Amino acid sequence: MVFKKIIDWLRQPKNFGKILMMPSSFILNLVLIIPFSILIYLSFTNYIPARGIEWWRSDIVGLTNFIKVIGDERFLWALLRTIIFVFTVVPIEFLLGLGIALLFLGNFKGKKIFTSIILYPMMVPWITVGLAFHLLFLDFGPINSILLKPIFGEATISWFRDPLLAFLTVILADVWQWTPLMFLILYSGLVAVPERLIEAAKVLGASETQILRRIRLPLIKPLIIVALIIRSLEAFKVFDTIFIMTGAGGPGTATETISCYIYKLSIQYSNLSYASAASLIIMIMIALVTRVAIKPLAVKPE
Amino acid sequence: MSYKQIFRYILLIIVALWTLGPVVWMISLSLKPPTEWYSANIIPKNLILDNYINLFNSSVPIGGTYFMTSIAEAITVPYINSLIVASTSTIFAILVGFCTAYGVSRYRAGGTFTLFFTLLTRMLPGATFVAPLLVYYSTFKLIDTHIALILLYTAVTLTYAIWILKGYIDEIPPEWEEAALLEGAAPWTVITHVTFPLIRGGILASALFIFILNWTEFLFALVLSVTKAITLPVQISLYASAVGRMYGSQAACGLIATIPMVILGYTIQRYLVTGFTFGRVR
Repeated sequence: MVFKKIIDWLRQPKNFGKILMMPSSFILNLVLIIPFSILIYLSFTNYIPARGIEWWRSDIVGLTNFIKVIGDERFLWALLRTIIFVFTVVPIEFLLGLGIALLFLGNFKGKKIFTSIILYPMMVPWITVGLAFHLLFLDFGPINSILLKPIFGEATISWFRDPLLAFLTVILADVWQWTPLMFLILYSGLVAVPERLIEAAKVLGASETQILRRIRLPLIKPLIIVALIIRSLEAFKVFDTIFIMTGAGGPGTATETISCYIYKLSIQYSNLSYASAASLIIMIMIALVTRVAIKPLAVKPE
Repeated sequence: MSYKQIFRYILLIIVALWTLGPVVWMISLSLKPPTEWYSANIIPKNLILDNYINLFNSSVPIGGTYFMTSIAEAITVPYINSLIVASTSTIFAILVGFCTAYGVSRYRAGGTFTLFFTLLTRMLPGATFVAPLLVYYSTFKLIDTHIALILLYTAVTLTYAIWILKGYIDEIPPEWEEAALLEGAAPWTVITHVTFPLIRGGILASALFIFILNWTEFLFALVLSVTKAITLPVQISLYASAVGRMYGSQAACGLIATIPMVILGYTIQRYLVTGFTFGRVR
């Protein structure tokens, strides 16, 4: 009887749309929503695997974890550092990307080859980017032995031992990796600007900079905002390159971003409850930012 | 050539050098014997392929018998694991994503929530899910299995599948499908015989894009695999953090992981932006 009812329900054309949604809600529930519920539960307990008590039997300690996280200087520093990182790399990548995109406007010989070269970093696994920059900035690596030797002589710089310099290498790696995406987005926007507008401006005697400031940039403004938002949210997640380059945050905690800190809390310190509370705080922050940011992304309710 | 053109080429060459520099150094390092790893020359004096061969040969000490720093596992198993996990989860994500995209596009099913939710999963840092996933998967004894990674990757990349494919489905005039429905075709037949063939190109592009994402995923693989299900990026990190510094093998390993990405990446070059910006950029 039950089977017949189910089959009848499935056969009705008006339910077809719902059937189509089933696989994805199944997967999302199984892999994301259940862990998310576990995360919320864990953040209110004092579960530490080493104690040998199963997580569902651990004591509920209320808001203790959250209070500890908010007072945790290392957490706050990691958060601040990540925000500084985002506000450093994204403008650099944007300006470089815009510059390169302007360089590519118009026709010239070898455009295709140069495009392929510039897009190359997008095709490199993030982990390999970290590895490449790690190898570049080693004490005897090419940055020291080829680029800086003529300037400073034999003295080598220990990039990964100085907090500021280590942070700089991480920034450079990120800029290397993500400028091409900025370039690609901005370039595809710039070539879409109608040629007749630019012709008209030229006839009226506008200079190149005026055309850029008055016509090209205003027209691709929505695109710029989308690019900046997406890059900022992605840059906030940075983990792979830092994990390889500085061992997830060295020297000390000089390059420890929020992802690295939460990773260490979960894996190295194995303090899963504390990590959950920190994660939850970050999630709420990102969700709020996304809610504000989603408007320019123009996700229309359809 | 005008001054402007010359200036343009100078800048272009600077950008190209900046882009290719790290790669050139890696290639150079991967072809050098251990004795030359610490020297500054870019073109190796003795060109060797040992660094690559040793990667597939677990019994050979890394760095050759000359340096004997440490022994690492062969990358054959991680490579196969990566292929299995990345391709299986790509197929799942595309199939599931297609159904969802079709439902959202044609039947307005799921409402805005599905779209918002999938977008949000994309924005959250992966690290915030590490603790609960660890607990969840170890409760069900799924740590270090392929199925754990496949399920997770499917869920994480579903966002892209839905958003990219929805763009393609939206562009097909609904009248074409309605015509087939009026002829008496079942909804499933319409999907398999009308919609699917029409967006074949889009399916392929998004599949390759998702494959790239799965192939490079590192954090979850690092947390959820120990030995059996280890993927290539995790293996690279093992090389990188090994006690004996095996720079040549590290470089070779990083480059080997890059090859499939470069081939696929250039194939779908013009779709890459769509993937990152959810179709907002043409």
